[in-house]
Amino acid sequence: MSTETTVKGSMGVPMKRKEDPRFIQGKGNYVDDLSFPGMLYMAIVRSPYPHAEIVNIDISEALLVPGVKAVITGKDLEAAGLGWLPTFHGYDKQMVLAIGKVLFQYQEVAAVFAESRGAAADGAEAVQVEYNPLPVVADPFTSKTDAVLLRPDRESKTNHIYHWEVGDRDKTTQALAASDTVVKQRMWFPRCHPAPLEPCGCVAQFDAMGRLHFHVTSQAPHVYRTAISIVTGIPEDKIHVISPDIGGGFGNKVPVYPGYVCAIVGALKIGRPVKWIESRTENLTSTGFARDYHMDVEIGATKDGTVTALKVSTLADHGAFDAAADPTKYPAGMFGIVTGSYTFPVAHAEVDAYFTNKAPGGVAYRCSFRVTEASYAIERGMDMLADELGLDPVELRKKNFVKKEQFPYPSALGFTYDSGDYHHTLEVALEKIGYKDLLEEQARKRAKGELMGIGFSTFTEVVGAGPSKHFDILGIKMFDSAEIRIHPTGSGIVRAGTKSQGQGHETTWAQIVAEELGLDPQNILVEEGDTDTAPYGLGTYASRSTPTAGAAIAMAARRIRERARKIAAHLLEVGEGDVEWKDYRFQVKGVPSKTVTMKEVAFAAYTNMGQNEPGLEATQYYDPPNMTFPHGTYIAVVDVDRETGEVKVRRFLAVDDCGTIINPMIVEGQVHGGLTEGFAIAFMQEIQYDKDGNNLNTNFTDYLVPTSLESPHWETAHTVTPSPHHPIGAKGVGESPNVGSPAAFVNAVIDALSPLGVRHIDMPITRDKVWRAIRDADAKKG
Amino acid sequence: MNLQYTGEETIPADKAIVWKSINDPAWVGRCLPDVIDVIVHDPTHFDAIAQVGVGPVRGKFKFKFELMPSAAGDRMDMKITGGGFGSAIDLTAGADVVEAGPGTTKLNWSGQAIARGPVAAVGGRVLDAQAQKLISQTFANVRERLTAAG
Repeated sequence: MSTETTVKGSMGVPMKRKEDPRFIQGKGNYVDDLSFPGMLYMAIVRSPYPHAEIVNIDISEALLVPGVKAVITGKDLEAAGLGWLPTFHGYDKQMVLAIGKVLFQYQEVAAVFAESRGAAADGAEAVQVEYNPLPVVADPFTSKTDAVLLRPDRESKTNHIYHWEVGDRDKTTQALAASDTVVKQRMWFPRCHPAPLEPCGCVAQFDAMGRLHFHVTSQAPHVYRTAISIVTGIPEDKIHVISPDIGGGFGNKVPVYPGYVCAIVGALKIGRPVKWIESRTENLTSTGFARDYHMDVEIGATKDGTVTALKVSTLADHGAFDAAADPTKYPAGMFGIVTGSYTFPVAHAEVDAYFTNKAPGGVAYRCSFRVTEASYAIERGMDMLADELGLDPVELRKKNFVKKEQFPYPSALGFTYDSGDYHHTLEVALEKIGYKDLLEEQARKRAKGELMGIGFSTFTEVVGAGPSKHFDILGIKMFDSAEIRIHPTGSGIVRAGTKSQGQGHETTWAQIVAEELGLDPQNILVEEGDTDTAPYGLGTYASRSTPTAGAAIAMAARRIRERARKIAAHLLEVGEGDVEWKDYRFQVKGVPSKTVTMKEVAFAAYTNMGQNEPGLEATQYYDPPNMTFPHGTYIAVVDVDRETGEVKVRRFLAVDDCGTIINPMIVEGQVHGGLTEGFAIAFMQEIQYDKDGNNLNTNFTDYLVPTSLESPHWETAHTVTPSPHHPIGAKGVGESPNVGSPAAFVNAVIDALSPLGVRHIDMPITRDKVWRAIRDADAKKG
Repeated sequence: MNLQYTGEETIPADKAIVWKSINDPAWVGRCLPDVIDVIVHDPTHFDAIAQVGVGPVRGKFKFKFELMPSAAGDRMDMKITGGGFGSAIDLTAGADVVEAGPGTTKLNWSGQAIARGPVAAVGGRVLDAQAQKLISQTFANVRERLTAAG
């Protein structure tokens, strides 16, 4: 028997993150840490007007500022054929620098290149732009009238961008008309922003051979390479995109921004590297926002609470350009998941999107393309239905859940849910939170006039975009990839088309390889984000990394195992068919004493391979057969101060089912982070515009990010229902807490206020909104 | 952010002197609070650079002025556009010039300011008071300078 030790069972182990030592020592390597000889700095002149003609741009004073080397405007770019860049889904375009007019406040108008960051800022201040203000369209309801046409550059002379619908409109209308009860509510999921702590930035540098090396904060480096090639005409082999360490993305670092194009143009024009790093205000005011969906939700049901139909009509505010980073065929993303965890026999959802004088975006902020909006709509709606029927929201949910035996479940809006056990997850959550005791406590408090609420969200997500027959960005199918090389001494390297921004890929990808090959995860190096070395992939967002690249890694490892089997047979001096992989090593069937480890096989692959091909490596592209459908039960318990409107989140329990868990500690960390963001969205965050189109939340004084002081204590637990089509049964978890939690928070607050007759409050549920709701309710009662 | 203000200044000077002064672009430019420089282009147009501080947004703002005197000589309107630090401020101000007895003239003024950009967002909480101060101080300076010239 082999004397070599084997590392057993790397899957499901709470291994400490391999990447953390460099982060906790402050030794991460971010874009702004980079410096190259002769590097210039870029600053962007931005419009203070939300909608205005550009009468004149005078750069003469800027060019006199010491250190300023060049200034470019939209006209310069237009002359070079670089005036516009395509948005990712391919049916709109975005100005790089304003041409003719500006369409939102803080829009990019000119770029200044200088020897220092300060000189670039001074140069930007010296650029004189003369504007002629135009009427402002600050909401989609006004936009809908077409009284002011915002985008005359488009063939279609209307502010309406698209109409999207799914489901059966007529049958849904009929079913609603025939229902015993119908609840209706307009819900606004406000405009919010991912606000990664590291803003966006880049360094563009051309080498002596004219090859572009582009360091950038990108969640999808390969897509950037292709997009840059399409926009600039530089052949793709002459473009090298590198995403170094990234300080959070949450969807904000998926789109290609105008600043990137300007930096590349500046580097080319001046012949020196150019660095551009956004300020916090630039990040919040001009890069991809999220949500901004005005949703009219209708749910029909029988008297006993069996749901009969769901209809959701949405007005979407997309801002000045349709820069939503959705897959091409899904302009409203995965909003069709709006039927949630429930067996609606019929449903219809439609979205109409409009331009406004606001920043462009509509990115998937820690969600798989509009899943958060959908989850919020259905989970709020189910609570309203329970309230209308006088039912316990838990019993209503149980009555209408898709049952375990119904999977794979075809939803009324076209998805086929892969697996789940909603009843079990809910029961685990009820047990852990002590629901019965909470109800008794609530009854006692209500008798005393105190306001206590219990809120549920039993959501289902759809993630892992996605199958090539449905999903593409700029025409590129949304597969992902992995390449694994095992070195002679049994260590190895795995490269993937994804890009971690804090998700812990350096650890979890190593654990998958280690599990499949019986190697030590500590000796598996993970490399991502370099387009010269990593295989082509669509990147990390929308909880797609584990469902796609995670699968590719497992399958590439299995290919290696199959190649290794031949070498193992050679070493064990038996036929290949007599060798089996058992207990993390190769063994002669029926002879437990005759084994070789993967480490021994790896050495032999380079030293004693017999008639077999030398080396031990594999590349795998993975085109998922279906999406994955994580689910969960979240419960919030809140106390509301009747006098001040202050909401205190006393408890929050998240029971997630994300299928197979690779690293429970990383999953717990992901859930904590997502819940904190969901908490912020529910109670604090909104990018507000006044009626004149002024952005009022331009910094962290006005756009709040919770610290540990504000955040509740998070309780977490898991159930495990593996995905039947994923090679390791994993579904992805990074976004579940952001998707599922806002509805639980809001449902809890409304439950607390329900004795007063309060039915709905739009997020963010600030103290003053709650206070006003209580005051108004009291006034009604006289 | 749209702000509106009104006020009144009583000036111990003849209406003719007041009217002549407020038709002089260089003279009017120097009435702005914290003015740094005034560049006169023609009898009705001038630029002024002033130090402005609105909350944390502080720095030099450049304004273009257009004087619009009434033919009857009893009202002066001004259109002011400008900005700095990525902000834009558009102001319109007007004053009825009214004789109020021998050697006394009243300026009944009103103003409207529209602020856009960081000035509106970051300085929003203090903008109202600052804008009012800017406009009222300008008319107060008109009174003070004419009183001193007296």
